[in-house]
Amino acid sequence: MIDLISTIIMGFLLGGLYALIALGLSLVFGVMRLINVAHGDIVVLGSYLGYAAMTILGMDPILSLFFGIPLMFALGLGIQKFFLNRAFKVSMEAPLIIAFGLSIILQNIYQIIWSPMSRGLTTSYALKSFNIGEIYFPLVYILDFSIALVVMIFLREFLRRSYMGRAINAASQDRKAAQLMGINTDRVFAFTFAIAMALAGVAGICFGLTFPFVPTSGMSFLIIAFGVIVLGGLGSILGTFIGGIVFGLTQTLGSYFFGVNAQLLVAYLMVLVVLSIRPQGIFGRQG
Amino acid sequence: MRLNDSKIRTTIPAVFLIVVLFVLPIAGMPQNWLLFLFVFFTYVSMANMWNLLAGYSGLISLCQPAFIGVAAYTVTLLAWIGVPLYLGMVAAAIVSAAFAMIISIPAFRMKGIYFAIGTLIVPEVMRLIFLIWRPVGGSIVGGGAGYAIKKATEIPITYSYWLALFIWIASVVIMRLILNSLLGLGLAAIRDNDNSAASSGVNVFRLKLYSFVISGVVTGLAGAAFYIFQGYVDPESTFSIRWTIAIMLSTILGGINTEEGPIVGAAIVVFIYFMLAKYAGVSLLIQGIILTGIMLLAPHGIVGALRQTRPYQTLLRLANGGSVELGFHK
Repeated sequence: MIDLISTIIMGFLLGGLYALIALGLSLVFGVMRLINVAHGDIVVLGSYLGYAAMTILGMDPILSLFFGIPLMFALGLGIQKFFLNRAFKVSMEAPLIIAFGLSIILQNIYQIIWSPMSRGLTTSYALKSFNIGEIYFPLVYILDFSIALVVMIFLREFLRRSYMGRAINAASQDRKAAQLMGINTDRVFAFTFAIAMALAGVAGICFGLTFPFVPTSGMSFLIIAFGVIVLGGLGSILGTFIGGIVFGLTQTLGSYFFGVNAQLLVAYLMVLVVLSIRPQGIFGRQG
Repeated sequence: MRLNDSKIRTTIPAVFLIVVLFVLPIAGMPQNWLLFLFVFFTYVSMANMWNLLAGYSGLISLCQPAFIGVAAYTVTLLAWIGVPLYLGMVAAAIVSAAFAMIISIPAFRMKGIYFAIGTLIVPEVMRLIFLIWRPVGGSIVGGGAGYAIKKATEIPITYSYWLALFIWIASVVIMRLILNSLLGLGLAAIRDNDNSAASSGVNVFRLKLYSFVISGVVTGLAGAAFYIFQGYVDPESTFSIRWTIAIMLSTILGGINTEEGPIVGAAIVVFIYFMLAKYAGVSLLIQGIILTGIMLLAPHGIVGALRQTRPYQTLLRLANGGSVELGFHK
C-alpha cells in the first residue's frame, strides 16, 4: 500500500517536470501553429549548458539559469529571425523541416562537443531525499515540481497582464485580426519562440538534475512532450499541466503494475487511446 | 490522339530505363554502385509512398517506421520458424496492410496536425513492444530484441537489388494509377478540404484508408527488403525516427506534391549518406545543415524550384506536345 501511494506521489511530481518540458512546445504550437520538432533537443541544450556551467565554471546548475535564460532567449530570437521567420513566409511545411534540420544539427553538435557519453548534473542536493512517515521522496522531484509550478504561474500571469503577453494571446487566437489591430506579429512570434527556448532551458536544468542525459535524449523528450500536450490539448497552460500529471502518473503506475520496461509503453498507449476518444485532448480547443 | 502520343513518348524511355537498370548487375556493375542503387530504390519507394500520403492525401504521417519495422519483423520471425523469405515477404505485405488498418482506427479520428502527432507515437510504441516482446528464439543476454535474419546472408546483392528495383517500379506505377483514377481525384478533394469533399459524396474515411494501407504495404516491403539485405533487425533501428527523417528529407528536398521530387531527393539523400559515411560524427550534422539550407533557399524543393525556371517549362511543353498549366496544387 505504501508502495502504491509513493508511486502515485512520484508520478504526480514527475508530471510537473513533464509539463515543464512540454510547456515550450505547447506555447509555440498554440501561437505559431508549428510543431517544433527541435524542442526536445533545445531542452537538452539547456541540460548541457547547465553541465558546462557546472564543470567549467563550477557554478550551481540552478544559479546558472541567471545566465542560461537570457542566453536561450537570445538564441530563440536569432533562430526565429534568421531561420523560421523566413520559412513561415513560404509554406507551412518549411518551418517544420527547418526545425527537423535544427534538431539534427543540435544533436550532432552535442555529440562532437560532449561525446555520446551519458552525463548528469550531479549536485550535492541531487541525491538527497526526505520522508513523510515511511514514504521517501527524492528532493529533486519536489524541486522540479515547484519550479514547474512557479514557471507556469509566471507564464500565465505574463500572458494575461503584460502587453506582449496579450499580444501573444491575440495572435494565437487569430493572426490576421491581431495584425489588423496593429500588433506586430513578427515580433510576437520572435518573443514566443524566445520564451519557449527559455522555458526549455529551465526544463533542461530540471531534467538534468533528475535523470542522466545523452546527446540523443531530445527525441524521447519530444515524444513525451507530444504525449503530454496531446493529453492536455495543444496550446493551453492548464491543459499542459494536467496532461503532464496524467502522463507522469500513467508512467509510474505502469511501472508499478507491469514492470519498469513497460512504463513508457503504457503511457504512450494511453495517449493513443485518449487521442482516439477525444482527438483534441482533454482540455483542447476544437480544430 | 495527343494523349496517346504523349503516353508513348513517356513510356518508351521508361521501359528503356527499367531494362537498363535490370541488366546492370549482370553487366558487371561494381558492387558498391549496386549498393548505392539498392539503397536509393528503397528510399525512393518509401518517399513515393510518403508523398502519396502527405503530398496528395493531406495525411502528414509520421509512422512510416512502424510499417518498416512491422514488415521487417514479420519476415525475420517467419524466417526463424523456417518459412522461406519470399513467403515471408508476402506475409509482410499482409501484416503491414492489417497493421495500417488497425492504426487507422484511432489515427483517422484526428485531423491535420493532430494526425501527425498521433502517428509519431506509433513507431515509439512498436519499438517498446519489440524491446520487451521476444516471440521466438529465446532470450539474449544483454537485452534488446535484435534478430539475425536467417538465410538472409545467402542472398546475393543482385537479388536484393532486383527486389528493390521491383518495389520501386511498383511504387511508381501505383502512384500513377492512383493519381489518374477517381481515387486520386477524391484524395485531392480531401486534401484541399475534407468537409466539402464529404458533402460532395466522397467517402473520406474509405479513401484515406486506401491510401494509408497502400502506403503502409509498399513502405513495409521496401523496409523488409532493406533489412533482408542488412541481415539483422533490432527495434532501435527499425522503428527509428531516422527513417521518418530520411523519408521526409527525400520527399521535401526533391519537392513534395511532385512525382519526380522523391527521385531527386532520394538520390541526394543517399549520395550524402554514402559520401559522409566515413565521417560518421559529422555526417548527420552536414545533412542537417544541407536540409536547413535547402529549405531556406528553395522551399518548394529542388523540383519545385526547377519548375519555375523557363528551360524546364519549355522542356515540359515539348514533352507534352502542347500547353501545360504549371504551378502548385496547393
